[in-house]
Amino acid sequence: MQPEIHCDRVRKVFGKGRAVFEAVSCATFAIKKGEFVCLLGPSGCGKSTLLMMIAGLEPVTAGRIVAGGLPMSEPRADIGIVFQDPTLLPWKTTLQNVLFPIEMMRRDRAAYLGRAMDLLRLVHLDDAVHKRPRELSGGMRQRVSLCRALIGDPAILLMDEPFSALDAITRDDMNFVLLELWDRYRKTVLFVTHSIREAVLLSDRVLVMGSRPSQIIFEITVPFTRPRDAAIGESAQFNELCALLRSQIELARAGTGAAGH
Amino acid sequence: MVEERASAPLASASSPPALRASLWAGQLAVVLPVATALVFLLAWQAIAVTAGIPPAILPPPSMVLDQLVGNFPLILKHTIPTTYETLLAFGISIPLGIALAALMVYSTLAYQALYPNIIFFQLIPKIALAPLFIVWLGIGSPSRVTFSIFISFFPILVATAAGLQSVETTMLRLCRSLRMSQWQVLIRVRFPTSPPFIFSGMKVAVTLAIIGIVVGEFIASQQGLGYLILFASSRQQTDLALACIAVLCVVGLALYGCVVLCENVVMRWYDVR
Repeated sequence: MQPEIHCDRVRKVFGKGRAVFEAVSCATFAIKKGEFVCLLGPSGCGKSTLLMMIAGLEPVTAGRIVAGGLPMSEPRADIGIVFQDPTLLPWKTTLQNVLFPIEMMRRDRAAYLGRAMDLLRLVHLDDAVHKRPRELSGGMRQRVSLCRALIGDPAILLMDEPFSALDAITRDDMNFVLLELWDRYRKTVLFVTHSIREAVLLSDRVLVMGSRPSQIIFEITVPFTRPRDAAIGESAQFNELCALLRSQIELARAGTGAAGH
Repeated sequence: MVEERASAPLASASSPPALRASLWAGQLAVVLPVATALVFLLAWQAIAVTAGIPPAILPPPSMVLDQLVGNFPLILKHTIPTTYETLLAFGISIPLGIALAALMVYSTLAYQALYPNIIFFQLIPKIALAPLFIVWLGIGSPSRVTFSIFISFFPILVATAAGLQSVETTMLRLCRSLRMSQWQVLIRVRFPTSPPFIFSGMKVAVTLAIIGIVVGEFIASQQGLGYLILFASSRQQTDLALACIAVLCVVGLALYGCVVLCENVVMRWYDVR
């Protein structure tokens, strides 16, 4: 089967002349349809830049990205994005924020109202439908942003460290909210994070990205069955996986680059 | 602001002394400046009367008040054109400033062509250009209003441009990911982000609009408070001139108050509901 997302020797260089900076050296990987993949790496390794290129928000310097069978060159309606910031419009209510993409794409708002309410119910925001962002907590805002990314029923969901600005407890809650949503809608997800436990808890597969050179250095399949709950976080196997990933990241940091490919 | 600060300790420690103290602090913020002004006026009155300063140099406040009451019909007659022309100039400079700012943010070409020149114009002492407006547009109302627009639309333009550009980078990324057009971004995201900036520009602009009109009246006019001040000064009727200035202050305060009122209404919609 053709992969949903395919990155082929993707390279990204910022700047010109002396100020040149290589953000991504050579990233090659493929994600199957309906797969939940985490891109894990130390901060500054270029994983967010890679995600932005897959989203069509940054042009590639070299290489090729194919998403949903089409080469990526600009943003597309079938790709939803969740940023680290909730990026909500402060003068709009929760519901208006969720329906904002529908309005902007000039689709029929009424047709998506039911879906918006379903999504908000799934993330436990039924009581906050008519509230403004300033009345919501950080976790609630990010849940609104998650619903907004899913409102247009995209095939692919790209998430750029969406929970990294939240406190640890809220972050755990958000992980389970996301798992529930994913169980319901089964999107192809690429989730960028620098939290090892988050990566193992959420994904089917973890790609480890190293810095200098910035490329995929290791990949691991997460064997846990779904639906997953908080209990797997306590299991020995979970902690072994985390330890393995941690050692790989340490290697990547040291710059030796244990070539996984 | 005062209410907020007062209610915070009230909720936590609802003891009567704390309540009394916070209420008193609130009143003090009003009472103190008013008392200071009254003391100043009384001192002025006392010095002007006891030291025997000629009224042409410094009339006591009581004489100014007499003029204000006695010549009220005359002063009012001259207040109307000044207020009208100020409102006209301010009313034109708001859409002008906002539209130019929108054009600059919408088109990179327009931005690069205009913005450095606008900053350069900001540095010119624009009052110095006032006589030229009389040369260009004559001694009538149009020259005063045009000059007033000329000096009052800059702060609106600069503030609006800053507001339209205050949208965060991630928000613009979201807009791009939704494939919104430049026009959609301007109307749906940039403009609704800007009201706080636009109002701060308007507050500066409204005071400049009055200055523009009064300066115009100083140079060439047969009516308006600027004309009456000049007329009274030339006849050493300092008390009448000061009465006109007092009225000018009231007009200025009232217009400023209207802007603040609009700001409160808009910001309430913008923030809470």
